[in-house]
Amino acid sequence: MKRLLAIMVGTLAGLVFAGCSSQPSAEEVVVYVSEDQVFSEPILKDFEAATGIHVKAVYDTEEAKSTGAMNRLIAEKDNPQADVYWANEPIRAEVLKQKGIAAPCASPNAAGIPDQFKDPQGCWTGFSARARVLVVGKNVKAPPSSILDYTDPRWKGRGVIANPLFGTTTSQVAALFTLWGDEKAKDFMVRMKANGTELSTSNGESADLVAAGNFDFSLVDSDDVVNRMKQGRPVAMIYPDQRGDEVGCMIVPNAVVLIKGAPHPASAKRLIDFLLSKETERKLAFAECAQIPLHAGVETPPEVKPIEGLKTMRINYAEVARKMQDIQPFLKEWAGL
Amino acid sequence: MVKRAVLILAVAVLLVAGLAPVAAMFVRSLDVDGQFSLANYESLLVSGRQWTLLANSLALASLTTILALAIGVPLGVLLGRTDLPLRRALAVLFTVPLLVPPYIIAVSWFDVLGPQGFLSQISAVAAEHAAAWLFGLWGNVLVLTSVFTPVVMLLTMVYLKTVNPRLEEAGKLAAGWCRVLWGITLPLVWPGILLAAVLVFLLAFGELGVPMFLRFSVFPVESFTQFTAFYNFGAATAAAAPMAGVTLLVFALERALVHQGTVHIRFAPQGDAASVIRLGRYRRPLGLAAIALCFLMVAAPLVALVARSMSVGAYAEAFAKAGDSLVRSIEYAALGASLLAILGFLLGYMIQDRALKGWPTVDWLTIFLFALPGSVIGIGLISLWNRPATNFVYGSFLIILLGYVAQYAGVTSRITAAILGEIPPSMEEAAQLAGARWPRRVLLITAPIARRGLVGAWLGGYIFCLRDVGISIMVYPPGQDTLPVRILTRMANGTPELIAALCVVMVLCALVPLAVLGLLLKWRGTAR
Amino acid sequence: MNAVALDSVSKSLGGKPVVRDFTLAVPPGERLAILGPSGCGKTTVLRLLAGLLAPDGGSIEISGQLVAQDGRNLVEPEDRGVGMVFQDLALWPHLSVRGNLEFGLKAKGVRRSERQSRMARMLDLVHLTDYAAARPAELSGGQQQRAALARALVTQPKVILMDEPLSSQDRELRLELRTEITRLQELIGFTLIYVTHDLDEAFHIAARVVLMRNGAIEADGTADETRRHLTSTSPSWLP
Repeated sequence: MKRLLAIMVGTLAGLVFAGCSSQPSAEEVVVYVSEDQVFSEPILKDFEAATGIHVKAVYDTEEAKSTGAMNRLIAEKDNPQADVYWANEPIRAEVLKQKGIAAPCASPNAAGIPDQFKDPQGCWTGFSARARVLVVGKNVKAPPSSILDYTDPRWKGRGVIANPLFGTTTSQVAALFTLWGDEKAKDFMVRMKANGTELSTSNGESADLVAAGNFDFSLVDSDDVVNRMKQGRPVAMIYPDQRGDEVGCMIVPNAVVLIKGAPHPASAKRLIDFLLSKETERKLAFAECAQIPLHAGVETPPEVKPIEGLKTMRINYAEVARKMQDIQPFLKEWAGL
Repeated sequence: MVKRAVLILAVAVLLVAGLAPVAAMFVRSLDVDGQFSLANYESLLVSGRQWTLLANSLALASLTTILALAIGVPLGVLLGRTDLPLRRALAVLFTVPLLVPPYIIAVSWFDVLGPQGFLSQISAVAAEHAAAWLFGLWGNVLVLTSVFTPVVMLLTMVYLKTVNPRLEEAGKLAAGWCRVLWGITLPLVWPGILLAAVLVFLLAFGELGVPMFLRFSVFPVESFTQFTAFYNFGAATAAAAPMAGVTLLVFALERALVHQGTVHIRFAPQGDAASVIRLGRYRRPLGLAAIALCFLMVAAPLVALVARSMSVGAYAEAFAKAGDSLVRSIEYAALGASLLAILGFLLGYMIQDRALKGWPTVDWLTIFLFALPGSVIGIGLISLWNRPATNFVYGSFLIILLGYVAQYAGVTSRITAAILGEIPPSMEEAAQLAGARWPRRVLLITAPIARRGLVGAWLGGYIFCLRDVGISIMVYPPGQDTLPVRILTRMANGTPELIAALCVVMVLCALVPLAVLGLLLKWRGTAR
Repeated sequence: MNAVALDSVSKSLGGKPVVRDFTLAVPPGERLAILGPSGCGKTTVLRLLAGLLAPDGGSIEISGQLVAQDGRNLVEPEDRGVGMVFQDLALWPHLSVRGNLEFGLKAKGVRRSERQSRMARMLDLVHLTDYAAARPAELSGGQQQRAALARALVTQPKVILMDEPLSSQDRELRLELRTEITRLQELIGFTLIYVTHDLDEAFHIAARVVLMRNGAIEADGTADETRRHLTSTSPSWLP
């Protein structure tokens, strides 16, 4: 008994020591990341290798799986632990700005990014975007080409969409509200539901359901589709609403935010510069997420359409963020909550 | 004096770790735009939809509990008291779903019953019907039953040890085993069955990941949505508040149904081994039935998981991409379990001994904290501990341990209280009369006698800490995530093979200490 | 000075009076039996003496020291210098016989050499020297009894309390152990308070027998006096 106790105490002491003994780096930066870890982690490792600054990251999950990075940032507002927030869409960055958690930061690498994808006060800057696209089963004949196809009786019960309370789907719906006005947008949503559109928990799940043949199409992020295509799943990607009179596809850039009161401001600015560089955009274009560079002239692989080649939705992200808050009660009811 | 001080200290630890963060969140929920307001609570009552969601959650929890009891109690009897073949292996296998985040089990069932699942390779029509059935109340019930039946099974096995064999033997003189089990044994273990029902009900009621995946709207969604979509902590806490009401109701029911409550049990006299029920000609058919049930409930979804992970390089990639979080998970779970075992011992002692006034409140508090969503506790911990003065806690893994203590103290305290009931009071009294003060007699007499039970409490704490996501994801220090968190963060775009491999690794993490312990105990038994 | 003195002691358990106005003085070195039917309160009296319960009223003295009064214990059980053999013996299963004996000596801070000699003497007295390393589960019923007695005696208490220790033993063993208990008491000279419901046992072991009924003393006298009282009253609980 005494020997067993001694072994246990010794082991526990060892564990405590191991847990405590992480060597403090000379320089470090703490980044909270909402971009998928699979894609963001290699970029952060490259930053570490290039600068010697140790990166400590908090990664996020898909929105519907758990609470995560945004909630931590908001909860930690009075004593920030994070230096930088890497948002996977600018709406979250806007929310942080509205809550007074973002600080202005002017990076020289932001110069080449179009103003449409930056906060005028410099509280967030967009880079490496996804497009909101239609993932379509390869066997689907005469596939849909517009988000309005969600209301087309031809596709009754064959469409699925991620829960509009979370993530980029919320942003998309809020964007439609700003473009069309409340009445038309609500009507669209109601008719979409009446046309038998099902809800999934996430864009990834939507893509999987289409790949599995449960549904014919879904509105998801472009990286979800490219990912499934590279896995050899039977899906294709369609950029919706590209005709002259149509709204265009929504562009969802990543956004980087300097946290107000960041514990390591100098390292934070270096990381922001790194993330906003053309080289990072090139890497993210060639990665499985296949994201669209916002800087002009960045090399891209064949499956990534350059931004100049797309008809994009003309929206103001700040307005979309505000609208998103307004329509939450409607969305709750629509989603059945 | 020392006894009282130590027990009060244990309660204080529970209050600081668990009650304080929740109280902070509750205070926050009463603040709307800087003013005191009940608006967050009023909006809950006004919405008709909330009552529908509550009804859904109650239906899901009730059906899961009933099924888990219907399967788990007979299983516990078969595996714990009979000569069923392969009973030890089956007991381990049935426990496996408890070790994996329930969401993963739901995904595995989808892999079996979904349109492209294994069933579709046998019959496409059957797969179509199965898939439709899976996405609804009964699909959720199936998944949660397979996850939580081990709770009932294990508690039944523990409580069966409390039955004095003489009572059964007296019954055997007049009737067969079936009548004895039904008329004597099961009524005696009724408090344990009730405890299992309480735990399963609360776990199923609070479950969110599975219903969201299987598209069934449940009550916890409201709290979750307030966090994730609205970032409204006050409303999120208010939405979680009904958990307090549900726990109180369940508790009151438990105490009304069992006079002493489920914590106070007396084990069979020392040295009396319960007789093994010989199944005779039923041994083979019951054995086959248990194996078939194991296949249906456990093996089918897990085989799907393992099969998916069997790709070249999946495990290599798993260790490369998550090796560090795996090591941390084991470290934190081991430390957490040790803290919980000590705290659980003291709280369990206090509850079993009724050593302090207000022990029922402490008992209820531990169960209430167990039932609360991890995000509520997590945000509460952040608001309390994220200050410059306490950064040495918040910025380290200690905050995760605090979260474990808050959420899982109920597990170890209840297991310990049950085990301490094994010891006749005269053991400690004899030590007292021999001149030993409380610390000496507890450390040298009570704890050693209860050691197997304490190890069981440690293992229970280890399993819950290892599989924890709700607390860990909210408070882990940057760069120090645990394996379940890593699985979830990688799930969006990690390959299915990698995710499956990570889950298998997680199961092994939980099973290995069990196996090592089993071998150690066997070796010590032989050595003596 | 009495070894044990109870003065108007009362105790209720679960709202029911279990010991009522109990007054008893036991001189040092006496062998006293408390005899009575099940539920009459005799075990409660022992537990009050041991300090495992506090009296609701009255006072208790042990070796002239006031240990309980005014509804509370003034001296904790571990400091009363009282040894007890429980009905279930309460031998600690994880310790050997030697370990069971040594526990109390260590708790009282007795030095190693003194501990060794006391244990050796006690084991010899109870004829368990060859079983010092055995665990309680490895001993026979009679050996367990002797081990429990040795454990109670090894710390040299002034008073030994025994709560129906032989009730689960067969007749032959009971006879043997009764003799053993009497022999040890005469040899060592401790005060013995022995609780039983067995007439024969009470008369064999004790020089003085206290008869209890419904929480109170019904008779108190020598074995012969008590025997006569019982013959004249013929209580229903007697066989």
